[in-house]
Amino acid sequence: MTTDRFASGVLALFALLVIWESRALPLGTFRQPGPAYIPILLASLLLIFAIFLAAAASRAPSFSSIHWTEWRHALAILASCIFAVAAMERLGYRLTVLLVLGFLLKVVEKRGWGVTIAFALALPFGSFYLFYTLLRVPLPQGPFGL
Amino acid sequence: MTAIPHAMCLFQRVSFTVLLILFFGLITGSFAQEKYPNRPITIIAPFPPGGVADLTARPVAAALEKVLKNPVVVVNKTGAAGAVGMSFVANSKPDGYNLLMALSSISIIPEADKLFDRKPAYTMDQLVPIALISADPTIFVVSADRPWKSARELVDDAKKRPGQISFSSSGVYGTLHMAMEMLSHAGAISLKHVPYSGAGPALTAILGGHVDTLASGPAVVIPHIKAGKLRPLAGWGAKRIQSLPDVATFKELGYDIEFYIWAGLFAPRGTPEPVIKSVRESVRQAVNTPEFKTAMEKLETPIAYLDAPEFQKFWDNDAKMLAAAIKRVGKLEIPEAK
Amino acid sequence: MSETLQNLYLGFSVALTPSVLLYAFVGCVIGTLVGVLPGVGPLAGISLLLPVSFGLDATSAIVLLAGIYYGAMYGGSTTSILMRIPGEAASVMTCIDGYAMTRKGRAGPALAIAAAGSYIAGTFSVVALMLLAPPLASFALRFGPPEYFSLLLLGLLALAYMSGASMLKSLAMAALGLLFGMIGIDPMTGFSRFSYGLVELGDGIGVVPVAVGLFGLSEILLTAGQPAAPEVTKPRLSELLPSREEWRASLWPIGRGTVLGFLIGIIPGSAHIIASFVSYAVERRVSKHPERFGQGAIEGVAGPESANNAATSGAFVPMLALGVPSGPIPAVMIAAMMVHGVSPGPLLISQQPELFWGFIASMYVGNVVLLILNLPLVGVFVNLLRVPYPFLYPGILMFCILGVYAVNGSVVDVGIMTAMGALGYGLRKFDFETAPVVLGLVLAPMMEMSFRQSLSMSSGSYSIFITRPIALVLLMVGLALLLSSIVSFVRKNEDWRQRLGFARRAREKSQLPID
Repeated sequence: MTTDRFASGVLALFALLVIWESRALPLGTFRQPGPAYIPILLASLLLIFAIFLAAAASRAPSFSSIHWTEWRHALAILASCIFAVAAMERLGYRLTVLLVLGFLLKVVEKRGWGVTIAFALALPFGSFYLFYTLLRVPLPQGPFGL
Repeated sequence: MTAIPHAMCLFQRVSFTVLLILFFGLITGSFAQEKYPNRPITIIAPFPPGGVADLTARPVAAALEKVLKNPVVVVNKTGAAGAVGMSFVANSKPDGYNLLMALSSISIIPEADKLFDRKPAYTMDQLVPIALISADPTIFVVSADRPWKSARELVDDAKKRPGQISFSSSGVYGTLHMAMEMLSHAGAISLKHVPYSGAGPALTAILGGHVDTLASGPAVVIPHIKAGKLRPLAGWGAKRIQSLPDVATFKELGYDIEFYIWAGLFAPRGTPEPVIKSVRESVRQAVNTPEFKTAMEKLETPIAYLDAPEFQKFWDNDAKMLAAAIKRVGKLEIPEAK
Repeated sequence: MSETLQNLYLGFSVALTPSVLLYAFVGCVIGTLVGVLPGVGPLAGISLLLPVSFGLDATSAIVLLAGIYYGAMYGGSTTSILMRIPGEAASVMTCIDGYAMTRKGRAGPALAIAAAGSYIAGTFSVVALMLLAPPLASFALRFGPPEYFSLLLLGLLALAYMSGASMLKSLAMAALGLLFGMIGIDPMTGFSRFSYGLVELGDGIGVVPVAVGLFGLSEILLTAGQPAAPEVTKPRLSELLPSREEWRASLWPIGRGTVLGFLIGIIPGSAHIIASFVSYAVERRVSKHPERFGQGAIEGVAGPESANNAATSGAFVPMLALGVPSGPIPAVMIAAMMVHGVSPGPLLISQQPELFWGFIASMYVGNVVLLILNLPLVGVFVNLLRVPYPFLYPGILMFCILGVYAVNGSVVDVGIMTAMGALGYGLRKFDFETAPVVLGLVLAPMMEMSFRQSLSMSSGSYSIFITRPIALVLLMVGLALLLSSIVSFVRKNEDWRQRLGFARRAREKSQLPID
């Protein structure tokens, strides 16, 4: 199992998914393409490319050669982003970013309390002041006007 | 544990100083309690900056701010031809701090959703009209190098060559499309529709001669009419447009159609009565201020103020017309593949 | 000609009055600040700050907006080069070689060349705008859907030259990007495609969140957990300016990028985004050492940056000459003018010469101001890189979230950025290029729309692409390019086979008897 074979498998699956999802839309004709026409065309192309990629016995490294050493960090960062999406309009920009930065610095990067708090307060409040108050860029506010 | 590098001590110090300074910002921002309105009011414009909704919302916001002595901000929440902003307000807390400046397309989107069996982004009963601000009659223009000199000439030509004369629009089921659909129905003709993604591209298309005709709001086409690039044939208003007194209305020409691109202020249903009354009253005052009148004059948009009850009637009527037009258009027939 | 010079004198006399200069300067500063935000480019910058201009008179307002617009463009290249986070959708190509240069300690020269290239391109575009606006604009208007489609097809061919690694992988990524562009409400028929009930997806998934996610967030995901800090050679003070070879190497790319970008930019629509992609492809094709691209080739920064600036300036041509809203940025400028009672139209130049020439002169002034503003700032920005990475990346993450949110005020965008970040992380682990995805995403909706519009116009006949002269010419050029690349493909026989991996099999087969 090479990296390319795995990747092309995923891509092929995705292409098939797209074709499946397009079945509800009208296809149209060659002269008057409907909404499903181009997506199915493109998905078919992707499928063909994926098949070629899998077939080519390329010099691709084996699947197990990929290092995932940083996956814990990556997962934590992604989790904080998802949290930001869920919380930002409820808790407001400043509070959300404060929590995210606090989490990243204290829990993930294991830094000291002092510098974490300083950072987690300075950055969101500073950027909010600069962009919302001074430049009037709309940013969400949460409870307590935060 | 790695040794803490020298830079970090400096960093800590700087951060604490910054932190102190910023704490002041936090404290000053948080506390101010009075009755309505005691916070900035947001008017949501569901279209990108520079569009009709946005341009109308800003003078309204400025005038309201003066009357209410309270900040009124315009926020653009764009997407899905206005559906994003409209559904945002329809579903927001009805406390009077989120208002909507919507265009006539507000009646179209739920109908289109119904047509495609989509879960409606919002329904029209989720919104309560506050006031109508402006109502531009749509105007029918042709490219100056095309032969038709009058609307009747074009209609007759269209009868002879069905599906040949083309028009551009801001998008399928958009306001400009619906206007032309009403004309097609009233004149019993069929035209070729080339949809574009917005009023701007639709205008660019006719200026480039790629389509024959266009239904458009007057403000953007008047400079081109004056420069001789476009020829106005008729208007969809009940009265002739002030700056184009020679252009007949469709009603005068015998076609019973009336269509405006209007902009009105809405609030989510459930907003307390006293709040709505207060907003209505403030809007009534705001619309009559000289600054507002000047601003709208600069935009070449006539003020067509209607208070809530009359606006509700206007809106219901308009919505009925649009719903009928959408049903007629139906789902565009996509021919089946063999 | 003398009339033009007279008008220009008038314009400069307007633009160089202290108050107008002040607005230009303020606009540039604000624009740079806003432009540094990942994802916030000139369009978002002007849209966000449009209200700020409402209290001013027409000329000052337009000058302020022009300053913001330029500042945002310059600011956008800064994040692209320093952190591989696209400052705006069109800066994606700058990320690739720009960041590679930063890794090698050449961040200063990259920033400087980007600034210089943008300046030269901007100045050229302004001059071309000044002298050629009306005839160029009339030519540009003749681009209808068939021509647009052919042009975009050409842009798609740029893919062939965008990356050095496996062509097949790039094509797959392009197909993926094109598919992402299909999400949303189909503009031709009103059907919703792949949006699963999310209203916000009605317009598709947006280039900004995808670009910032695929490039910026994925970079953070890949680097944050590494035991060793990313090796960024800290530049010395003397190395902040480009070397003589770098200047020399950049001249032709800047020239080509400028002309190419300007020509693409004057065409109404949003095609100007592809200018930087096409420029990168051209530079790679023309270079004698294409394998340097991706490792920090200065041409990969000079060309796209100049093309981007020229294209966005070119977009003003139809707007100023004919009052045509030729794209989202000109549309906002037109709105700003209308708010101030100036109605842009074909008669703008003759009826409001102070506005037109003042605008032109202020664009020139803006370019100069930004050059003066940015060159010293290069040192400041580069020093930001000295912050230890564990502190740097949460800050960058915050700005990414802020920037992506600010563009549309929507958390859905932030969600898309997150998803794309995860996708980009995976793609790069499996050694796929992410730039073709962005290009595909940008091209797909425009291509599909113009394709189906063309068929609508011709009532189903495909001959419309051949009977219209401009479309035909563009298609021929595309065909020629395609053929030439196939020919060189076939000629570099071994190379081709290596790319598709057949060589290995052949080698294996030939080794068997010996074993």
